[in-house]
Amino acid sequence: MLLLQAHSRFLLETLLNRVHNLDKAVELDYHWVEFDDVRYHVQVTMKNPHILLLSVSLPIPPPETIFLRGLPFGAIEAIKAAYGVVVQILDPPRDGFNLTLKLNFSKLPPDEERRHILLVKIASVREVVLGAPLRVVLKHLASRTVAPDVGQLLALVHRPKESFFLIPQAEKVTVVFPMRFNDSVDTVLATSFLQEFVEARRTAGLNNAPLCMWSSSPPLDLKEVPSEALSANAGFVTFVIFPRHVEGKKLDRTVWNLSTFHAYVSYHVKCSEGFMHTRMRRRVESLIQALDRAKPDSEKSKKTINNRSFKRLSLKDLKESRSNSMS
Amino acid sequence: MDPTSRPAVVIDNGTGYTKMGFAGNVEPCFILPTVVAVNESFLNQSRTSSKANWLAQYNAGVMADLDFFIGDEALSKSRSSSTYNLSYPIRHGQVDNWDAMERYWQQCIFNYLRCDPEDHFFLLTESPLTAPESREYTGEIMFETFNVPGLYIAVNSVLALAAGYTTSKCEMTGVVVDVGDGATHVVPVADGYVIGSSIKSIPIAGKDVTLFIQQLMRERSENVPPEDSFEVARKVKEMYCYTSSDIVKEFNKHDKEPAKYIKQWRGIKPKTGAPYTCDIGYERFLGPEVFFNPEIYSSDFTTPLPAVIDKCIQSAPIDTRRALYKNIVLSGGSTMFKDFHRRLQRDLKKIVDARVLASDARLGGEVKAQPVEVNVVSHSIQRFAVWFGGSVLASTPEFFAACHTKAEYEEYGASICRTNPVFKGMY
Ligand SMILES: Nc1ncnc2c1ncn2[C@@H]1O[C@H](COP(=O)(O)OP(=O)(O)O)[C@@H](O)[C@H]1O
Ligand SMILES: [Mg+2]
Repeated sequence: MLLLQAHSRFLLETLLNRVHNLDKAVELDYHWVEFDDVRYHVQVTMKNPHILLLSVSLPIPPPETIFLRGLPFGAIEAIKAAYGVVVQILDPPRDGFNLTLKLNFSKLPPDEERRHILLVKIASVREVVLGAPLRVVLKHLASRTVAPDVGQLLALVHRPKESFFLIPQAEKVTVVFPMRFNDSVDTVLATSFLQEFVEARRTAGLNNAPLCMWSSSPPLDLKEVPSEALSANAGFVTFVIFPRHVEGKKLDRTVWNLSTFHAYVSYHVKCSEGFMHTRMRRRVESLIQALDRAKPDSEKSKKTINNRSFKRLSLKDLKESRSNSMS
Repeated sequence: MDPTSRPAVVIDNGTGYTKMGFAGNVEPCFILPTVVAVNESFLNQSRTSSKANWLAQYNAGVMADLDFFIGDEALSKSRSSSTYNLSYPIRHGQVDNWDAMERYWQQCIFNYLRCDPEDHFFLLTESPLTAPESREYTGEIMFETFNVPGLYIAVNSVLALAAGYTTSKCEMTGVVVDVGDGATHVVPVADGYVIGSSIKSIPIAGKDVTLFIQQLMRERSENVPPEDSFEVARKVKEMYCYTSSDIVKEFNKHDKEPAKYIKQWRGIKPKTGAPYTCDIGYERFLGPEVFFNPEIYSSDFTTPLPAVIDKCIQSAPIDTRRALYKNIVLSGGSTMFKDFHRRLQRDLKKIVDARVLASDARLGGEVKAQPVEVNVVSHSIQRFAVWFGGSVLASTPEFFAACHTKAEYEEYGASICRTNPVFKGMY
């Protein structure tokens, strides 16, 4: 159901393009930004065509989250585990970025398929880095333990200056998202979307999906959290994750889905708005037709040529009149 | 955080291809066919189902909303499954289907660029012939569906001129010859403003060249599978076509040294998987020739492109004409044929010189007119000159001030989107 993929499409295309044309030296210098203010910079120089510098900047962490040297905890280990010898972490990173990786294409595995998998993983660097602490906690859940050095309540960065919260236990991990939207229409749509989302899970026999709740006020588990971190205009969503949700291959998916939950809801809100606009446009069209039909016959015959009173000027008409006047 | 601290999103929606990316870069992130594949079966289902089943209807709506593809993915979906229908949101440079357009943008933003539209100012492009109503629709969708903080809708020809900004010195007077996929426009611009009354359009563009090549190859009965022949023709066009200086000579060259001029195309039949080859001969130079001798392709339109450019400049205010001849800028994928600019420059120069000679003769040789300088400018980024111009302009500080903001939209309504000011940095 979730449409967002873990990898950045542009980063993956850039990497593949580079790998397929390694004999051609090029100068690359790309800057771009993804949702939640994750910024990327890619650089390749003529001198070293098989080296690519990839810098990433993360959303500004709110005060209640823990960042070590600009990164969430567990991030360095996660990078090393995921990328091995292909990637070297530069210390310090490029100015203005949290992390700079030096990729060495000549160290990529020769096997086509393994190489592709690794490149996709590199293009998913935000998942590896931002999802690191969540992955640590959920990995422990899979083995029904609690990670040793995390507290009873954990705040992780979700979006710029916003966090979500984890309550790790041996048998389950509770995840709470305060939901905030800037636009008032979005807030209303998101709130109803979330309520329906919860309802749908309850009724549709999605028994294997994580338990999910929505409330307008913060759940009791969060009573120690400073109230600034809990102002949320679209309520709170709570998921309860059990070991069966994080077994084996499911872990990566669960980590990604949870760490991009806001983007997921926001995407759905935009889809609904688009859907509503489509319906509104059809509605207006059919009303115009109805009005046209309702006109008395005399009026109809009088104005057959210029019968435009109820019709929004369409582009086609405009083009015609324009080309007439132009010729 | 302030959206003006992030790079603006620049999207140039062309009839054939959409170029999208972030301001400040030299290349767009993606160049995709402007096409949407929608799964209509969901919509039909919901219409027939009973009233009691409103939830199913709602879900069908939501599913239909999510079940669509754009660009190359849309093309391959429609090829492999009959449940998807293709819809082309833009025709001849104008948005034709707003539902499809809105969906297209949605995917561009969320699935390709993967950015939050609330975080970025947007620069979109329009053809010089776009109606103000269409700009209002665009504004409505951008501000209401996507909540963009700021929007600038620029005329694509003006951006193509601005693309010269970094390649040479900034010159905002000139004629833009934009030859895209579905439309060709010749647009004179003076100091950043389009001279609307002098715009000329030509019904021949990239797609016609492809169709012509497809027809030539079919007539010679090359064994290209019919379902692939358009795509093959397009690729042949993009890889092997060039502009000749004289067709008769070119025919001779091909006949004398076929080994040097005839190319081979290798493909695989989609149905059987069997490999095939075919020859590519005269179409290499006959394709681009349709711009210079349109009668070889169409009997309705027969004015060569250089003559249209000349007419366009002659109809512009007299005090701008010399400057216009001096800066003729090419833009769009179909100006990429090798030596296209040389041929254009030569043919146009001939027309202009003939006119000067005639007027000299009329005046009996007493006063000689000053020679007119004709200069067709070509540069390496022609294929996406419009996008590049947008990228350059949207990274100047003046850009943000020239945008319409969401607050203005909410206060004054969609009509503010009818115009955008020309701003400093544009001239
Ligand atoms: N190298 C090339 N040589 C010739 N034609 C090309 C080349 N690259 C792209 N094209 C053609 O240019 C057209 C697309 O140009 P573009 O300016 O993107 O169009 P639009 O803006 O109208 O969508 C297509 O017909 C494509 O086949
Ligand atoms: Mg174009």
